[in-house]
Amino acid sequence: MTDARVLDADVGVVGAGPAGMVASARLAAAGLSVVVLDEGQRAGGQIFRQLPGGAPHPARGAEPPSHARGDTLLAAFADRDVTLRRGATVWDARPGRLWFEQDGASWLLRCRRIVLAPGAYDRCVPFPGWTLPGVVTAGALQVMVRGFGVVPGQRALVAGSGPLLLPTVTALTGAGVEVVAALEASSRWRALRALGGVLGNGGRRREAAWYARRLLGAGVRLRWGWTVFACEGDGRVQRAVIGKVDRDGRPRRDTARTIEVDVVGAGFGLVPSIELGLRLGCAARFVAARGGHCLVVDGAQRTSVPEVLAAGEICGVGGAEVAMAEGDVVAGTILHELRGIAPPAAAGRRAAAERRAADRLLAAFAPLPGLHELATPATIVCRCEDVTLQQARDAAALHGTSARAIKLGCRAGMGPCQARICGPSLQALAAGRPDQPMDLPVVQLPVRPVTTATILAAPAG
Amino acid sequence: MVETADLVVVGGGIVGCSVVHQLARLLPNTTRIVLVDRGPIAGATSGSSMGHLMVTPDDAAAYALTIASVRLWRDLQQRRGGFHYQATGALYLADTDADVAMLPVLRDQFVARGDSAELLDARQLRDLEPGLAPDLQAATFYPGDAVVLPMLACGVMLREAQAACPGLVVRPDCAVLGFDRDGDRLAAVRTAQGTIATRTVVNATGVWAPDLAELLGQPRLPIFPRAGNLAITGHHGTPVRTQLLEVSYLRFAHGAAAVDPTRTDDRGGHAVNVQPQSNGSCLIGSTRQFRGMDRTLNRELLHRSLLRAQRYAPGLAAAPIVRTWVGLRPYAIDKQPLIGPWPPVPGLWIAAGHEGLGITLGPITGRLLAQQIAGVPCDVDPTPYLPARFCA
Repeated sequence: MTDARVLDADVGVVGAGPAGMVASARLAAAGLSVVVLDEGQRAGGQIFRQLPGGAPHPARGAEPPSHARGDTLLAAFADRDVTLRRGATVWDARPGRLWFEQDGASWLLRCRRIVLAPGAYDRCVPFPGWTLPGVVTAGALQVMVRGFGVVPGQRALVAGSGPLLLPTVTALTGAGVEVVAALEASSRWRALRALGGVLGNGGRRREAAWYARRLLGAGVRLRWGWTVFACEGDGRVQRAVIGKVDRDGRPRRDTARTIEVDVVGAGFGLVPSIELGLRLGCAARFVAARGGHCLVVDGAQRTSVPEVLAAGEICGVGGAEVAMAEGDVVAGTILHELRGIAPPAAAGRRAAAERRAADRLLAAFAPLPGLHELATPATIVCRCEDVTLQQARDAAALHGTSARAIKLGCRAGMGPCQARICGPSLQALAAGRPDQPMDLPVVQLPVRPVTTATILAAPAG
Repeated sequence: MVETADLVVVGGGIVGCSVVHQLARLLPNTTRIVLVDRGPIAGATSGSSMGHLMVTPDDAAAYALTIASVRLWRDLQQRRGGFHYQATGALYLADTDADVAMLPVLRDQFVARGDSAELLDARQLRDLEPGLAPDLQAATFYPGDAVVLPMLACGVMLREAQAACPGLVVRPDCAVLGFDRDGDRLAAVRTAQGTIATRTVVNATGVWAPDLAELLGQPRLPIFPRAGNLAITGHHGTPVRTQLLEVSYLRFAHGAAAVDPTRTDDRGGHAVNVQPQSNGSCLIGSTRQFRGMDRTLNRELLHRSLLRAQRYAPGLAAAPIVRTWVGLRPYAIDKQPLIGPWPPVPGLWIAAGHEGLGITLGPITGRLLAQQIAGVPCDVDPTPYLPARFCA
């Protein structure tokens, strides 16, 4: 049986990634008490991932220049009087209250302001064989290599879309994995649109140049307008069928060819993790190029719910630079509200500029509707409940085409992941409406799975 | 051009789907039936329910109705399947001396109906379910209960109906806005997707049945929403294979409610129902509370149900809960479902008010109503369920 535990702080921050670290370090520096809750065992989030116990990074040289910023940030964060709660799962919230589970104990954090900076998760696009062992998301590959020093295989395929394919490739090559193919579904011509977002921004320019050099050095050529059609193998992935896609992402079957691989990282961009915001009642809107449904914030990073602020990917996927800039704005807003310190206008301008640059970049990698044609009727679309595309289509045809109707008609999205994995593709696939926004997900308690014991031991708030 | 139909069934829950399912088998295959629902098929009470097929032995008529319906469920499973039917049986458990004394009484009730049930001692109980709390001394095991996934079952029924009756149209997200009358008789249903001319309408809208009656200018039917909180665990393997019920469940769920359903200060009650699912997750219920159409979670009642479930199956303490939700049971004031014609409006039929037995009774309800509409003899005497009992 767990004991009830209550914490008090001026500010409760969810997520110790770039946004959460910047915000909490600044708030703590100004003398506010800050508690940061993170699911991971170390600060840094997905992008500035640290190895356990300060272990030397096997691929230290494989970190791009922007990550030096991460090192500085991690050091500053460690210096500040910020309480980091590691391995903390936030499962319920209301303004001023965050309930979380940590090491089997049930906790309540009471705070005057909530900062939501939970980041994003990988967008999965189902294709035949995507559930085979050895086929993981690009994010998962980075967790293995950069977070745990695990080398997942010898011959890798990295496929998907968006800037995060590059660190996945360099993490693998840095760890000694041969990257047999690196496939970007967007066309080179579509990517040209992103050029303004890269060239107009010094940091991004240096970053792009660094990746170009790394890929060249490792002998990896990024192929534009290609993707993975299917993965095959006996018990685990042994082969991948790859080929060209048209400008909408539709597979051109005549270009299919088979390559031998033992690990596949598929990353079709990111989806903002907005569940806590929805649980708190925050307004959301759909922006395809930002990964789907995002929380609505004002120029001060305030959500529609008083005393709840948000920064980083939860407001729309934008990357670490945007997250850090928005984290800075969050700190300014809270210091203004709680301490009467006027927020620096420059912070807001910088965040807005970073956001604009990110939007320009990511517009080139907005999800391609044609990629939904990769799945065949027999392809699993919901891996929690083993629902095939055909079953999901039958459900949509009979029960209705809303996300909820599809779920009711075939159980897709009802399992442990609660549609985090299948949700972004499910409705498009089942209802045959790849161009339309998916319905806003319905969030029910608990926001993340926690034990019965945790729910029962939750301190009343 | 106005769409025409021989029948319009309003409500795409298990009752409406079953009505259509049975009508399609009884009426000529040229019959044009339209099923409409304001939301998705199985989107309200049916989609929120536990899917327990429960045979109730405490009353002869209730036993006849539930056993007949559970047999129809078994037939559907054998004929079609596809809705995760599991013959879990039911293990009735007791925690107080008074409830322990009920265990043999319950067994005797099943036996008196010509059915079978077993009284298990502590050792037999341990052999059957090693995951139960070690201090439990006795239980009654009834093998006839089962578990289904109601929302998938709705789909199976509708697909079978469509195969038998090509004129069946299923229209989700199509709310009924009003009715046109031709004198006493019904003339048309006005929906969000247009008007359907018809002389026959079935009100199978569960907790909304009183609203639909009102739309027809009729008095509100005495059906009241009774909320239940539910939780489901992850796929980590259930601590039990048999469905668990507290023996007090029967009087709690199907006995007279201790409170007036029109009151708003009902604090609610609880009796354990733990249901292993085919995918390794476990449903934990059940609570009951009258509080109108409010579907927000009642944390206190949820906590009570989780605590009590753990008391019987301690392994649940460590089980991750992935989701909780609230469903509304349509509670009829005299605790009997309404199945039959509504005499003041010729052509209007009702199938609603099943409280927590809607999934169990779905098939027999559809059958009794379809048999009445088709003018053929009923499988079970429908008299106790005729809605006319509420006609002034």
